[in-house]
Amino acid sequence: MNDAHNSVVIDDTFAEAFPMKATRLLITAHNITWARHAAVSATGFATSVIACGCEAGIERELSPDETPDGRPGVSVLLFSMSGKELIKQIERRVGQCVLTCPTTAVFAGISDGEAVPLGKNLRFFGDGWQTSKVIAGVRYWRVPVMDGEFVAQETTAVTKAVGGGNLLLLARDTDAALAVAEAAVAAMQRLRNVIMPFPGGVVRSGSKVGSKYPALMASTNDAFCPGLYGLVAKSELTPETRCVMEIVIDGLTEADVAAAMRAGLAAGIAFGAARGLLRISAGNYGGKLGPYLFHLHKLMEAA
Amino acid sequence: MIRLRLRQAPGLRLDLRGLTPAALAGLDAAAIERLPLAQGRHALPLAEFFDVTAEGDGDTLVFEGDLSRCDRIGWQMAAGRIVVEGPVGDHAGAGMTAGVLQVQGDAGLLAACEMAGGELRIDGNVGDFAASAQPGSLDGMRGGSLVVRGNAGARCGDRMRRGTVLVFGDAGDFLASRMVAGSIALGGSAGAHVGYGMRRGSLVFAGAAPTVAATFVPAISEAPVIWQLLARDLARHGGPFAALPSRRVQRHLGDLAAGGKGELLIVH
Repeated sequence: MNDAHNSVVIDDTFAEAFPMKATRLLITAHNITWARHAAVSATGFATSVIACGCEAGIERELSPDETPDGRPGVSVLLFSMSGKELIKQIERRVGQCVLTCPTTAVFAGISDGEAVPLGKNLRFFGDGWQTSKVIAGVRYWRVPVMDGEFVAQETTAVTKAVGGGNLLLLARDTDAALAVAEAAVAAMQRLRNVIMPFPGGVVRSGSKVGSKYPALMASTNDAFCPGLYGLVAKSELTPETRCVMEIVIDGLTEADVAAAMRAGLAAGIAFGAARGLLRISAGNYGGKLGPYLFHLHKLMEAA
Repeated sequence: MIRLRLRQAPGLRLDLRGLTPAALAGLDAAAIERLPLAQGRHALPLAEFFDVTAEGDGDTLVFEGDLSRCDRIGWQMAAGRIVVEGPVGDHAGAGMTAGVLQVQGDAGLLAACEMAGGELRIDGNVGDFAASAQPGSLDGMRGGSLVVRGNAGARCGDRMRRGTVLVFGDAGDFLASRMVAGSIALGGSAGAHVGYGMRRGSLVFAGAAPTVAATFVPAISEAPVIWQLLARDLARHGGPFAALPSRRVQRHLGDLAAGGKGELLIVH
């Protein structure tokens, strides 16, 4: 089996994922540069729901013929644990990062689901000069701003989603770990409906449930910390695996997360043990907390 | 499909309110023939005027003949489809909330007045006060779309507050007077006093540029995003609107006498 996978060991384990609420926003601008600026800003500080309120990321860039207004754009996905929190995050992030960004407009990228405010409350920035326009049954708000007007669709739709799919890449050293993580993230970014919310798509501080400190819900995943090899009671590592990176995936459906994990597995296997990726594992909490379990071996079989 | 053929133009005006696909569904031809129609102070059975044929159970109602003396066709219609193979009288599609009313001829006064949803298509011309309010009422058309292939009379869109009106031909005087909001697109030329007292709303002039009143100011900034959204929606209807997304507009803001949040979009 190892030879079949370029000598990369695929652990017989699973990633455990949770239901989330998500929306997609389409941000357009006069050119792609400013659409990117808005999207990067709006999805900034959104790596984990633990302290950011939401997990967000850029899904992909949109050509002018894919956007409602014929301008270049970027589609972003935002995920939260509750619809209420997501509503708050949408309003804050669009209000501070898209409304403020030169030439942008923002549209709902999902139509099916509960409608939540997008431009509905931001319109009051217009101080009475805002107007709305209903076009083909959809209401847009036009808020006068210093470069013209900010156009925002009144609502966006919130849909059920899946958050927390993940892969652990156990590598020989830092160079190999970074290189394979980058390759895996790049492969996943080619897919739609998923984001990898951590910096560059990669997280080095994987966590376990619980802590010796009663106040903390989660703490460092000591079993995968190379610095604790030989110290902790049960390490997952061997002297050969000296650097571990995790990729966390949020997707609109279970199938989307599975597809991204499969792409990551394939990218890791293509990278191979010869260049330093020794094992691929996944993070879970015993399988009792999350309703979605992604078994690595089953993902490989499906591929 | 239920077909009502008007044998000859009635001597007095005939009120056809209530003849909607939903109301006639489930009735057989004999029951439809007995329905009362108001003519002046009298109610006469429908069979006095129309030949009725009912076949299948479709939700389409077809009128045949010169119905220019028949008023309130599609009055408060909420579903289904009415096709009129000829001209209609006043109040066509007034107060309709959903469904499709197609008139393959001209329509009289107050077509689509206080319309709230659905689609009213008129292949010919409409008279005065299309998409406006009932006499004395404060709010005009408030939803749906009115598409006029010919010309519109005066006061088209008077007090209109939502919805879309497309006129492929010309419009009379006082287009969109006292408009509250909504969109009107004109393919031909407009009469005098466009947007007189309009508070909000958008008027698109795809054809000849109108005479702009002194109570409108030329905009110094463009609104490319909303223009693309609007132009792409209008372009679906073809004709003089087909090329709108690729064209530029000069905006005029007004009517300053009524707050000035409306706009005239004059296509270059």
